[in-house]
Amino acid sequence: MATPYYVPETNVPLPPKGAEVISTACDYCIVACGYKVYRWPVTAKPGGPTADENAFGEDFPVAPLGAWVAPNQHNIVLHKGQPHHVVIIPDKDTQYVNTDGDSSLRGGCIAQKCYNPQTPTRDRLKTPLMRIYGTLMPVPWDLALDVAAEVGNHVIAKHGTNAYGVKTFSYQYIENTYAISKYALRHINTANFTFHDTPSDVTSTPGFRDAGFDNFGPSYEDWRDAETLLVCGTDPYETKTILYTQWMMKGMQNGQKEIYLIPRSSAGVAHAVKMGGLHIDVLPGTDLLVVNAIARVIVENGWEDSDWIKKWVNNKWESSSGFGQGTRNTPWQWRTTWGKFQTKGFEDWKEWLLSQDEFAPETAAEMAEIDVQKIYTAAEWLAKPKADGTRPKTSVMIEKGFYWSNNTGNTQAISALGIICGCGGRPGQVIGRAGGHQRGGVKGGKYPRNKSPEKLPGRRRRAMDTDRYLIAGHTRMAHVIGTTWIQSMCGSQQLADKFEELTVRNPHQIASFDKQEMIDTLKARADSGGMVVINQDIYLQDPIGNRYADIVFPAATWGEEDFLRANGERRLRLYQKFYDAPGAAKPDWWIIAQLAQRMGFDGFDWQNSNEVAEEAVRFTRGSRKDFHAVYRLAKKEGKGLHQKVREFGTDGVQCPVMLDADGVTLIETKRLHDTTRELPDTGAAGADVFNKKLTHFNSQTGKCNIQKSPWGLFSDYWEWLKPNKEEGELWATSGRINERWQSGFDDRRRPYIVQRWPENWVEIHPDDAAERGIESGDYVMVYSERVPGNKTTLLGVEGDDFQFSKLMENGHIELTKAAITAVAMVTPAIKKSVVYMDFLHMQQPANALEGRIVDWISGNYNYKMGVAKLRKLGPSPYKTSFRTMSFAPRDIA
Amino acid sequence: MKDHNATGCSCSGEAKKACTVNRRQFLFASGATTFAVMVAMPTRHGQAEQVPALVSTYPRKLIGKLSELEQDVPVEFYYPDEGDYSDSILVKTGVESGGGIGPQKDVVAFNLTCTHQGGSMYDSYKPEHKVLGPCPLHLSTYDVTRHGILVSGQAYQSLPQVLLELDGDDIYAVGMFGLIYGRYDNLIA
Repeated sequence: MATPYYVPETNVPLPPKGAEVISTACDYCIVACGYKVYRWPVTAKPGGPTADENAFGEDFPVAPLGAWVAPNQHNIVLHKGQPHHVVIIPDKDTQYVNTDGDSSLRGGCIAQKCYNPQTPTRDRLKTPLMRIYGTLMPVPWDLALDVAAEVGNHVIAKHGTNAYGVKTFSYQYIENTYAISKYALRHINTANFTFHDTPSDVTSTPGFRDAGFDNFGPSYEDWRDAETLLVCGTDPYETKTILYTQWMMKGMQNGQKEIYLIPRSSAGVAHAVKMGGLHIDVLPGTDLLVVNAIARVIVENGWEDSDWIKKWVNNKWESSSGFGQGTRNTPWQWRTTWGKFQTKGFEDWKEWLLSQDEFAPETAAEMAEIDVQKIYTAAEWLAKPKADGTRPKTSVMIEKGFYWSNNTGNTQAISALGIICGCGGRPGQVIGRAGGHQRGGVKGGKYPRNKSPEKLPGRRRRAMDTDRYLIAGHTRMAHVIGTTWIQSMCGSQQLADKFEELTVRNPHQIASFDKQEMIDTLKARADSGGMVVINQDIYLQDPIGNRYADIVFPAATWGEEDFLRANGERRLRLYQKFYDAPGAAKPDWWIIAQLAQRMGFDGFDWQNSNEVAEEAVRFTRGSRKDFHAVYRLAKKEGKGLHQKVREFGTDGVQCPVMLDADGVTLIETKRLHDTTRELPDTGAAGADVFNKKLTHFNSQTGKCNIQKSPWGLFSDYWEWLKPNKEEGELWATSGRINERWQSGFDDRRRPYIVQRWPENWVEIHPDDAAERGIESGDYVMVYSERVPGNKTTLLGVEGDDFQFSKLMENGHIELTKAAITAVAMVTPAIKKSVVYMDFLHMQQPANALEGRIVDWISGNYNYKMGVAKLRKLGPSPYKTSFRTMSFAPRDIA
Repeated sequence: MKDHNATGCSCSGEAKKACTVNRRQFLFASGATTFAVMVAMPTRHGQAEQVPALVSTYPRKLIGKLSELEQDVPVEFYYPDEGDYSDSILVKTGVESGGGIGPQKDVVAFNLTCTHQGGSMYDSYKPEHKVLGPCPLHLSTYDVTRHGILVSGQAYQSLPQVLLELDGDDIYAVGMFGLIYGRYDNLIA
């Protein structure tokens, strides 16, 4: 760990002429800016300040936006066992993504990510570890793998496949996600499987799926080219910086008006408002009301895009035809069978919209505690035709603050608003997610939904809520890959209690030197109702690895192996290996392959990551990141897939990609659902087809489904959760902060970032702070006496059995307490009666406060919904010190 | 040492020299024990030898007079030379600030070039927040009361702080803390 004291350097070595240049992309946010790694041996002379003396061909000092090297962009690594300098800076020549050679603070300092024993990265996991006599001790790979495989096979044989739980990242490179899902889903075939950000393997945006929108259809230039852009539940400046600075800022310079629907202001929101935009500061969970009120104003004025609706929205017969993809047992079908969402087309939807009292602008504004005029202004900007009769080009962007507040309801509502504004299928007129992490998931097996014990009212099963299953004591072996699990999930402290009980407090703990005794002990643990935990990660995370894991596998990561991944506009790049992984650390695909082979599974004998990629690529076919054509072209040219993608450098290739009739020209895809796109008459060549999503929507007819979004499916939870003001409760919500990525696994090891954010903090409005005697820099206790949690895995029979009030009535919800400390930051940037924290501090996890209640339609958590009380504890050291933290507002424009 | 630091001393001769060293040491460390942690030097004696060496090559340049500074009205100057990106400001913030000099320890100076991509922070001081920025290029802001730490934005490090000394009423720039944008070494323009 880094201490919060940071001494900046006042000089930096420059790469010499002849330094090797290796292209890659950033490891962090969805945007995945292109980077160049300059590498040269420490024995070589560094470059000089004139253009003929350095690898950049630049005279120093360089111009603004130039190839400057900040000291945080330099490191020393081992390459083939020999120390080398590396300088890692954004690609200054790229025409895509991070144009102008821009970068965020996160990626800008990515050189600090590299393992270097002289920096705080020194605690990278370097060998497998096993907990023996209560202590995690280094062991060789063979011992750790043999024990894990034996115990795994025992658990599956004795307790069933669902007793083997796999909780994994969904994105940390295609080769790894493919190997992991092939292992878990195709071979073990467990329904106890999910990703880092959800308790159940379900779609993140059910409303988009029903409407026919791909999450990542738009291209970055669409976000620039919109004339009105509605941004829901995110400030892209903070969380996908370059999308904002290189695309949206340029849009605003061209007159784009941005509307933000979010309870909090930060730099990007403030800048947009300064540029003539609008900030609709809704209360958590009230987005649906405001979105539908805006839609109502639009249809009452007749501002909807009638031509678009006529051509691209399903009518009664189209809505019913084959809805649900032909069979009854599909996610689409069961959500719509009650008639709560499905409509007979635009007029039917409009009639429903106008008949809901809570969507009257004054009512919605009152509940959301906003100025009602903002609803009218937003409606005008989004849809009112201009004086010449033309319509504004409108686009809609959503992210987690929005879709993790009322997952199903909000995504249904925004889809309908988007549809009537003509968003979705034309340049600058798009709807999609902005994105969080990059897109590196390829599934090597199908989720066995019919093995999930959760049965919903009606006719189908839902993917297992793996947290609830674990809390019910059914998970006997938890295989955790690259996620903190506990702090990432709602009601974290309740989850931690159960982990503690099933692992540490189980009497069966390894106390032996003998392999067979170790295996027998862990088998006995599982058989006794306890749980065995194996954990793959790059650092030892607390508590999942440090406290609960019996076996820890050290993973190799970015820069330590060749990997493929796509970004938020479906652009696929090769992230190249440029230095040696520390110690015996191995990539996740290798770890899985070793384990799988020991468990007796076939098809895991890959020799390198390119072989994994060449197997995985088949499973991208038909998806938004279909790059099978690149593989076929590579083979035609006698190249490996990685080798071929490497040729594309930081530009990469924008998917889905097809081969033209000539069999050698790649056809990329700028945006999905592009109704203006003309595909070649001759058709795609060879094994390619023109997928429907290229020019139409992902629905049964290729047109959009306009769906209802009833408040009543969520309102009982919202009303129950709503802070009791007399008791001093406030809404507690959370999200990312610009300087930190995910759990801060790298940021905690960057002295400068630790200096900026040594601990979690809580933004509180000055009025709320004054009532509690809290000042910026005070330590506060943020706590709740009512964190609701789903108790047991259950079957729904009646239609409303899973509705929150019904679950409560029937005793399926338990209330627990939670408490975390934080440093107060008093600022009007946060809405009154709301507090905001960093979502994933390992020591002070904000998710502990959020209700562990899945959205009863989709199965996702509504992570952004919780309540808390705040009590002042006393001053923190940061209140009066000058080196650490800053309490200046973050929304200065 | 304590008195010299607190008041901006009026020592002269050898006493002045000793005082200056201490001032530099103080500016770098803002707390001697933490500095020992930072560079892993075991003894206080060790620091006193090391620290001045870091700044010994910077010029000592007269940049203003304490009595002429008005609160929240920045004064521009060039440092450590007059080459590219040497534009800097001296400002009396009115609140105690990290590395501040003068009776209120509220006089600080910073380089004016954003350490993200080299935007000029000229004329961006926000007296109500004691912040420089937002940078016109990509909106970074810096807290001048806290050694130029990034408040919000994309910079790779704090804004370089110009280290100051007070000699009577004269304010001298004597060193830099942090690499200036565009340069690979602060002293080579």
